[in-house]
Amino acid sequence: MVKGFFTVRSWFFIIGSAGLLAFAAWLADVMVQPNWGMLSLAIITAILLFLYLSFEEGRVSAREIAVIAVLGALAAAGRVPLAAVPSVQPTTFLVIISGYIFGARAGFMVGSTAALASNLFLGQGPWTIWQMFAWGLAGFSAGLFRYILPNGGWRSMAAFQFGWGYIFGWIMNLWTWLAFIAPLTWQSLLATCAASFWFDSLHAAGNLIIYLLIGRGVAKALERAKRKLEFSYLQVENIAE
Amino acid sequence: MIDQFFYTEKGNFMQTLHPAASLTYIAVLLVLVLAFSHPLYLIGLMLSVVLAIWAAEGLKAWEGYMKLALGMAVLIMIINPLASSTGNTVLWLTPDLPGLGVLAITVESIFYGALMGLRLLIIVSIFCLYNQIIHPDRLLNLWPRFFRKSALVVSLATRLFPVMTASLHRIKEVQQLRGVDFQAGTLRQRWGKYLYMFNILLISSLEDSLEMAEAMQARAFGSGPRLRYRRDYFRPRDMLCLISCLLAAGIALYALFDGLGTYSFYSGWGDMPGGSSNLPIMAAILGGLSLPALLSWGAQHCHYLESRI
Repeated sequence: MVKGFFTVRSWFFIIGSAGLLAFAAWLADVMVQPNWGMLSLAIITAILLFLYLSFEEGRVSAREIAVIAVLGALAAAGRVPLAAVPSVQPTTFLVIISGYIFGARAGFMVGSTAALASNLFLGQGPWTIWQMFAWGLAGFSAGLFRYILPNGGWRSMAAFQFGWGYIFGWIMNLWTWLAFIAPLTWQSLLATCAASFWFDSLHAAGNLIIYLLIGRGVAKALERAKRKLEFSYLQVENIAE
Repeated sequence: MIDQFFYTEKGNFMQTLHPAASLTYIAVLLVLVLAFSHPLYLIGLMLSVVLAIWAAEGLKAWEGYMKLALGMAVLIMIINPLASSTGNTVLWLTPDLPGLGVLAITVESIFYGALMGLRLLIIVSIFCLYNQIIHPDRLLNLWPRFFRKSALVVSLATRLFPVMTASLHRIKEVQQLRGVDFQAGTLRQRWGKYLYMFNILLISSLEDSLEMAEAMQARAFGSGPRLRYRRDYFRPRDMLCLISCLLAAGIALYALFDGLGTYSFYSGWGDMPGGSSNLPIMAAILGGLSLPALLSWGAQHCHYLESRI
């Protein structure tokens, strides 16, 4: 994956992202009050570009692309049946479990695709890029979580699912706080997070309950799908024998 | 009712613009609304966005968007005065609140909160415009040049989304025919029934994904450089709109560099930075941003203009 950073397209991405950040930083500096709303949006966009770059430059088979697309669509469709209950949906649960089974890169792609694809139908808004980032990060961190704690067990995964209910809400609050609230103090951040506390709690409880009810079954199904994705090349002479 | 929030083919001028031109227009509007903090500039931006929505025949949808966004705007208007006690004109000192102490509600913080509420409404209006003028498929066609695999993933997921929701309904109907009552039982039991349905969908979709991958391989996916098929033409109207909004963005950058377009809320009430020199700059920015709507009006009333652009 590292050698991909030396392709022309990679340099295009790097220079583009650096230019975006420099432009936002310059614009924020020019203003009477630093514009953290715009700067944060530029940083999030640059991070997303880099994560997409790693997916673009990595070796990805047709099977992996198909499975990621299906999981992304499924996570997006999961926003519909429980839409009547605010913040409760299997999307975060599925994104996390996908990242845990298929790895950080696939987890990020499932999360960001779920946000983008569902909003093509549910309506794009300023929230789209932050949802792409938050769900992408949920999937990415789940991959890292398995790397750090390979034998964590269901309790640690349950806690991870529960915690992401709040983290997702805080990430979404961050832009509201940076773009629309002044001054940027701990008090104003707490006030912004307090406004969404019940929604975040419902999200966290929803993740936990969904994981406890169907988590193991879903993990087994995904492990089975992962085994079907894995293959190894055989030497021609070995086949001839 | 809900359909009006999303793209529907109306055949108007704004919908015929090239997605690259429309996307640049939306991006410039979004950057400017985040960059400007002066009330007059923000009001001007709101007017030009509403003008574009009117040209896109989306005023009814915009009303719906505004009703939804108003709650969030009010929340921002409430949080700002509560979170900030700075400002020279104190209106009210709250009683000693536990954990927060005595809060001073100032005119400046209320004014800032109201302006930030307006900024949110403009941002939501910009996305209303986006949803009215950019066809999702035409937008997705833009990306394969830069994001080959990611664009394919998003395209596949977008195609699968309605299939998945239809499958969910189908599975639910089958379950109901087999005697499952989704309304009966305790909350946990009802959740269990819904999630079991989700599990069935997951397993069948994963099986389908392998077939999809085989179909992709059968169509030579990954066997060589990818070809692209373009259907969108870049016409003079796209060039005009692109140049006008980029010019507006350039003038806005010059204005920001010159200290115009921003306002310091908490350092006392002051004159508008730059005074009357703002007016020609504001007129140039808003003129540039209103050109697509004006061209739309012109094309509607003058067939010669429509045929030339």
